[in-house]
Amino acid sequence: MRSGEQKLPHLFQPGQFGRFKIKNRIKYGACCVSNYNTRDGFITERELARVKVIADTGCGIITNQGAYPDPLGEGKAYFRQVAIYDDKFLPQFEKIAAMIKDQGAMAIQQILHAGRYGGIDLGYCVQPSDVPQTLPHFRPPKIMTTEEIRDCVRQHADAAKRCIRAGFDGTEITSFMGYLLANFNSRFTNQRTDEYGGSIQNRGRFMRELIDGIKQATPDNPLIVRLNGAELMDKWGGNTEDECFELMQQAVDCGVDMISVTVGWQEAPESSIGRDIPPGYWNYLSERAKKTFPNTLITFGNRLPDPRMANDCIRDGVFDFWEVCRPLLADPELIHKAAEDRLDEVRRCVGSLNCLSRLFRDLPYTCTMNPALGHEVEPEYHVTPTTVKKKIMVIGSGPAGMECAITAAKRGHEVTVFEKTGRIGGNLYAYAANDLARPDDLHSIIRHYEAVAKRVGVEIRLNTEVHAKFMRSVLHQYDVCVVAAGATIDHDSHCTVEGHELMIDALDVAHGRVKTGSRVVIVGGGKIGLTVGESLRKNGAEVTVVEREKRIAGDIKPSFKWRHASWVDELGIRCLTSSRPTRITTDGVTVLNDKGEESFVPADTVLLAASRKPAHDLLHEFEWMVDELHGIGDAVVPRGLEQAIQEGFRLGVRI
Amino acid sequence: MNSAALPDPQAWRAAAAARPELFQALDEGARIGLIARSAPAQMLVWEAAAGGPGACLATFPGYANAGVDLLMAANDSALGDIVAVARNGLFDVLRAGIRSGEVVCYMLRRRCDLEALGYEELLEALGFAFMGACR
Repeated sequence: MRSGEQKLPHLFQPGQFGRFKIKNRIKYGACCVSNYNTRDGFITERELARVKVIADTGCGIITNQGAYPDPLGEGKAYFRQVAIYDDKFLPQFEKIAAMIKDQGAMAIQQILHAGRYGGIDLGYCVQPSDVPQTLPHFRPPKIMTTEEIRDCVRQHADAAKRCIRAGFDGTEITSFMGYLLANFNSRFTNQRTDEYGGSIQNRGRFMRELIDGIKQATPDNPLIVRLNGAELMDKWGGNTEDECFELMQQAVDCGVDMISVTVGWQEAPESSIGRDIPPGYWNYLSERAKKTFPNTLITFGNRLPDPRMANDCIRDGVFDFWEVCRPLLADPELIHKAAEDRLDEVRRCVGSLNCLSRLFRDLPYTCTMNPALGHEVEPEYHVTPTTVKKKIMVIGSGPAGMECAITAAKRGHEVTVFEKTGRIGGNLYAYAANDLARPDDLHSIIRHYEAVAKRVGVEIRLNTEVHAKFMRSVLHQYDVCVVAAGATIDHDSHCTVEGHELMIDALDVAHGRVKTGSRVVIVGGGKIGLTVGESLRKNGAEVTVVEREKRIAGDIKPSFKWRHASWVDELGIRCLTSSRPTRITTDGVTVLNDKGEESFVPADTVLLAASRKPAHDLLHEFEWMVDELHGIGDAVVPRGLEQAIQEGFRLGVRI
Repeated sequence: MNSAALPDPQAWRAAAAARPELFQALDEGARIGLIARSAPAQMLVWEAAAGGPGACLATFPGYANAGVDLLMAANDSALGDIVAVARNGLFDVLRAGIRSGEVVCYMLRRRCDLEALGYEELLEALGFAFMGACR
């Protein structure tokens, strides 16, 4: 037994699922469709390469992503989702089942009919009742007839048989996040008056028929059903938590073999898995399921990214299997690192929901934290030993610089990182220091870089600023120079504003180098301005944001814009959009909007958080001083964490 | 709940007139409905017209035949708040209601169609530019 396994004995103890022995208590959840496949439902080489990585994660049960079961594609939720409505799809499923089983895991295939969120290639979606969409990217509803419901059940049963023929050990059906099964179960979307609607017994009929149909079709293979412990739709007339558990009881009474407890719908007005939800927040739902159904296996993992927490949950009877997906997107070696007691090296899922944001734009999923995700099939993204060992200097220890340094060092290069301040992390440190959601997630990225840099032998020189004079002092000592010095606030952009010299750099405040007064105006309503403004407001300052554009949050990820917009409202931050400062004094700021109206905002501190300027000067200065010179991240074009990590990695794998 | 719980059409028209920037890009005939979720017998409708948005009460014929592009269905408490602020600060209350779940905002057209009809500013004011799957 490896040292980490001894520390997490409950997580790594073997389990039993039906007639199958499971090597540990970890289930890879089918939480995300990859969108790597063909438009007509066939599995691609890209997908197979990705599945190989999933098979190698070390999970005891692995659930392959959901396949839609109907030929019309009414169940199809995602642009490049796989299908299993015909035998023609079997060869690739056979490969996937074999890959999973070759690694000693139990192979489960999920059957996903998206219902309300389906029909992506059609002009409609199917639902139990005519309840319009609340998110405008989904299709208008078409009510299912009784005959269509029965066809749908048959299609699920046929799909399940096909899964087993392909070599899977079991199947899973899902109501996760508001798919068809959830639509029938929920009072919000099921307003039928026939035998499939009305009472909870009637609303659960479709689920019971699905379970019966699949159990009859595949009597020797276990069936898992994913069911909401909480829909978070009750304010809109959806099910209460008690009703959710009544539906679980129906599933148990029908003989389902395992319940996967989930939380929320995609359209729910509350957050369920975003980074503003603390890890462990939803555990009570799983605990209730386990206590209510002690003889049914329970698996759970919503917003539960930490193997230590999962170990304790299994010990305490909160669930039987830890269901994990997004943390394994961020770090496919998570389970192995846990088993080897190397959790400090884990690249944590920070809940940015980049994966989902891309899916709903019909793009393949990628991960903010894992730059190789989705590129497994491309040798160019593999970390391979270098043929020519080089001495590399990396200027800047933000995510771009550290990612590049670590990747290059893993390949055998000799890497030194130069950091002008006394700590690594760059502006990510400042972001974490002001973040209202989950600062620890952001700090974990820095801790990950510290731990891995040490392990792979990256030298880090703190308090060392690299400029032309320094470069001359190390001339010919390095083969490669990587400028990852980030970006600074562009004060020149506001130098025509009267009194501009009174403006303080928002990054200085974010880093804690400068304190503000109690009445603050922030010029710039993007990521930096809002993050600093929210933090100052939370600590009692009166904050006004002045933004030149029509809207705030222009440079923030779609999946987190709503959070900043909510904070602005909740905290009472005043936002003056389509506006710019014209005069700054020690008493405040005169602001002009695009209608030509002028107003005065009293302030004792004015912060500049507007446009950012990349560190191009270093690239120009060093051009003739080193053999290879590269720029990455914000030093090239100021953007965000994802691009910094991606570019750092891409350069690191090819130097 | 009956139609008396809905705001007065005149107040509703005035609320739209007070925020012309949200309505000026709308195609003529664009319609936004408001119903009481607990008893949707009647529907209060904003309709974009050449002279600015009008407001009227209509019978609510059900979702499929509502004939509106957006339909806001408010819980009783939210409806009280909406009536109280119909003449001032309405869109802040609507946005807060949608965000908290007290108001369900149904989209009877897809986003691309709504934007083609000129709904971008109104969706923004209602907070929809910031909403997304799983939050």
